[in-house]
Amino acid sequence: MGNHGQVTPGTYHHGHHWKNAHEEFEGAKQGMWVFLVTEVLMVGALFVGYIIFRAMYPEAFHEAHKLLNPKLGLLNTFVLITSSWTMVLGVSSIQRGQVSRCLAYLMTTVGFGFVFLIVKYFEYSHKIHEGILPGGLYTYKELAMDKVPLFFSLYFMMTGVHAFHVILGMGLITWVMLRVKRGEVSKQFFTPVELVGFYWHFVDLVWIFLFPLLYLLG
Amino acid sequence: MAHANSTSHGSNYLNHEKGLWSWLTTVDHKRIGLMYLATVLTYFLVGGIFALLIRLELFTPGGGNLITAQTYNRFFTYHGAIMVFLVIIPAIPGSIGNFVLPMMVGAKDVAFPKLNLFSYYVYLAGGIFATLALFLGGADTGWTFYTPYSIRTSGAVILVVFGAFIAGFASILTALNFIITIHKLRAQGQSWSRLPLLCWSLYATSVIQILATPVLAITLALLIFERVFKIGIFDPALGGDAVLFQHFFWFYSHPAVYIMILPAMGVISEIIPVFSRKPIFGYKAIALASFGIALVAFIVWGHHMFVTGQSELANFVFSLLTMFVAVPTGVKVFSWVGTMYKGSLTFNAPMKYAMGFIELFTIGGLTGVFLATLPIDVHLTDTYFVIAHFHYVMVGGTIMGFVGGMHYWFPKVTGKMYNESSASVAFWLILLGFNLTFFPQFIAGAQGMPRRYWSYLPEFTLMNQLSTIGSWFLAVGFAWTAIYMIRDARKGPKAGDNPWGAGTLEWQSPSPPPHDNFPVDPVVTTWPYDYRGIKI
Amino acid sequence: MANDHNHDSSHGHHYILPDGVAFKAFAALLVLTVITFALSFVHLGSLNYVVGMLVACVKATIVVGVFMNLRKDDPSNTVIFASGFVFLAIFVVLTSTDLLFRGNVYTNNKPIFKAIAGPSKFKKPWEPTPELVAHGKDVFSQQCVSCHGAAGEGNGPAAAALNPHPRNFTQDAGWKNGRKPSQIFKTLKEGIAGGAMASFATLPMDDRWALSHYVASIGPNILKDETADLAKIGVDPTKDSAGSDAAPSVPVEWAMKKLVQEAGAGSGKQVVPGASDSLMHYGDRLDAATFSKQKP
Repeated sequence: MGNHGQVTPGTYHHGHHWKNAHEEFEGAKQGMWVFLVTEVLMVGALFVGYIIFRAMYPEAFHEAHKLLNPKLGLLNTFVLITSSWTMVLGVSSIQRGQVSRCLAYLMTTVGFGFVFLIVKYFEYSHKIHEGILPGGLYTYKELAMDKVPLFFSLYFMMTGVHAFHVILGMGLITWVMLRVKRGEVSKQFFTPVELVGFYWHFVDLVWIFLFPLLYLLG
Repeated sequence: MAHANSTSHGSNYLNHEKGLWSWLTTVDHKRIGLMYLATVLTYFLVGGIFALLIRLELFTPGGGNLITAQTYNRFFTYHGAIMVFLVIIPAIPGSIGNFVLPMMVGAKDVAFPKLNLFSYYVYLAGGIFATLALFLGGADTGWTFYTPYSIRTSGAVILVVFGAFIAGFASILTALNFIITIHKLRAQGQSWSRLPLLCWSLYATSVIQILATPVLAITLALLIFERVFKIGIFDPALGGDAVLFQHFFWFYSHPAVYIMILPAMGVISEIIPVFSRKPIFGYKAIALASFGIALVAFIVWGHHMFVTGQSELANFVFSLLTMFVAVPTGVKVFSWVGTMYKGSLTFNAPMKYAMGFIELFTIGGLTGVFLATLPIDVHLTDTYFVIAHFHYVMVGGTIMGFVGGMHYWFPKVTGKMYNESSASVAFWLILLGFNLTFFPQFIAGAQGMPRRYWSYLPEFTLMNQLSTIGSWFLAVGFAWTAIYMIRDARKGPKAGDNPWGAGTLEWQSPSPPPHDNFPVDPVVTTWPYDYRGIKI
Repeated sequence: MANDHNHDSSHGHHYILPDGVAFKAFAALLVLTVITFALSFVHLGSLNYVVGMLVACVKATIVVGVFMNLRKDDPSNTVIFASGFVFLAIFVVLTSTDLLFRGNVYTNNKPIFKAIAGPSKFKKPWEPTPELVAHGKDVFSQQCVSCHGAAGEGNGPAAAALNPHPRNFTQDAGWKNGRKPSQIFKTLKEGIAGGAMASFATLPMDDRWALSHYVASIGPNILKDETADLAKIGVDPTKDSAGSDAAPSVPVEWAMKKLVQEAGAGSGKQVVPGASDSLMHYGDRLDAATFSKQKP
């Protein structure tokens, strides 16, 4: 996925083992899809754990999910979907050579990421304050049903891993923004923007399933 | 900037750039392959030493010959974890795969050379974490880290688990690189039906790595969080399910054993036709069987859990499905034998190892069918029968393939030829030593000797002593191999470009190859197993 | 020439997502999100799950197909991405064949799928009937014969190694809890301390009543339960059902203590939970305080 090339704007040198820049781009893109498959399996395994325990303990999970705030979850869903849209606009901007537009959209995307994390911060801090914590740390007396702490173990793992990927994504987008600013990424070579965009869309994709599963259906 | 063109003045990938720094920062797949090789062999030595110590302790029935029970538990944990995660899984893809695959498809490098170098350092980092753990409290859980013991036990479990977690990413990155290389960097004329079988095997291996390893990653991460934050998903005392851990763990670890064996099978598929001077029998069948094995690999993991309290339904389903993996495996074994039939056989070291592979892997594979049979497994599980089974396939299979491959590509990699009589001595020591070490373990296991036991009942003494003696022959065989290979790499006679008369693309290039792999971009016009036009 | 390093205009035809298409996809995603949220307030039972996940799949398809361009891309990328979900499905389905089909012990006595752990078939199972006795004989042949022998004489294949000897049901002597069905039922539920007779509380209640009646029936004479006997085991004979049994699991705390005790037994060593040289190390990271808060 790297840029083997020189920095002179307007020229791009693809890796010498590729036939041409197009092949290199297609290869990088396919490589990104292969990487996303690994993410599907990794995050998916957590969903598998959730599905199994939910089938085993439906009442406990139902009661537990009521302690989540669906309105905040909905807000975060809107935030991520919008950020995916701005990401896509960032990609098409740089494909057309519109550098400042691209930077504006990418910055907005990172901004939305911040909003997501802030909402998550409020959710988590409220839970920590109430003692609604995973597994062995759970101390919330108002709902002391068997297996409820298990729900929260899964909740914190799944949303935690997700939030971690949001942070990583924000870092990647920022890195790409710097490269765009330096001219290393441009209309001639926009692979990094597109592939980082894929990463960001994947993060959105996971939330599209997390939100209804945990917050709404329980 | 043009890359200096290759064959003139003996310029090759070894002298292209000199100095340690040029190696540490190389993006040349051939150099990276050698770096993987060096590290894999180092860990093989470390894991092997633990094995020898275990066998020494087991020379007599009572415990405490050499080490305490606690230390013994740590040693078999280290032996298993090091061998599985740091040796057998990365060995062939990381070393032989990295070196040979791009050349076999006619490419100048893998798709993502920098990612390749990064994957090596990730592998090294994983190894370093695991090694650190040895000195910071160790782990005594067995390499399988079953809960709840792995949650409760003191020690550096988190470090060992973290090391395996990191090493897994190297596995994923290598696989990613190989898949895109095979998809996108094949030379002109290198159609799918002309792709060498090692490439097909590595392709299937890579698919397994991509799909299975991430589940190990999340499982190990969950285990770490269990220990640190008591999340309780696998801890029955906190409402979780300990058997669920095993499902998560084996969903990776069973396909992992096919990650281990498929590349070795690919190496065997390359060696046998060359040393039979006969096209490989059943090329399409072998290629498809690689994917058949990869697919069945994912639906059988519960056969490791027959006595855990798994439901009867699951036991039945997994036992039945496991039987199917024998089919594509059998297709391969019969094809190799069919290749040799009426061939003109020569028994250089690579061929010796290939035939040793067929013998040992067949025994290992058949005993796998015994273990897949549910009522029999109830008696044999957690006995030495299982240990013998997996050592026959992993050592008798993968390691034989690995060492055979090292001999086969030795002239290409070094430009020199190893000494056949030295190799012969080592081979027989290894083959006989291996059988002496592990065959008695089948017997002891069938008679009821449990595994992971520091002391055993006196009736198993003879089998254990035979096994320990065998381990000494194995050790000498491997040590001698290391010695003559290092000796001959430096001072062996010069080897030609194609000393074996093989048909795959890497042999059309000088030995050692130039930095860019080929003096001229290759164009493929023939099937690589057609030996009619090739002179030795 | 193919290997031209310099300004390489062979970009191929890169599809640039038109802003209009992007906006329509975005709008669709917002609308679908609102629909999901609204539908979650409508109680459709388990259909809520189906609908919720279906909508999520549609949204996912829009993100992957439009935002990530799969609909215009090389189809092999779609195959690659989809394969991840296929194998995830294999993972969840095969794991479920274990976790969701285990029965009583792991599910707090609630049946997951009725077919496997069905409702009680017998009314007033404490009253002997020919069907119960016949069913009891079946269960006996699976669960009891290895110790008690095919005819219940206490001479099964495993009996030789047991001390005390398994009970001979055809004689009157030695019954620790008594020979009445309710007393046999108690024995089955609790086991007998100091011997090899384990608790069979993991068997469904109906099986244990059936066994009780069968074992009573092969005795020298059949004894009957009085109301007082039934009251001792918590059965109200005026009702049809005996209610549900307590969860057949032992408290983990208790099990840990026992294991630690047994690890030290006979070695002359005092094994103390928490001692770092204990053979099994179970004590190391445990302490009573941690576990007193947890239910098993």
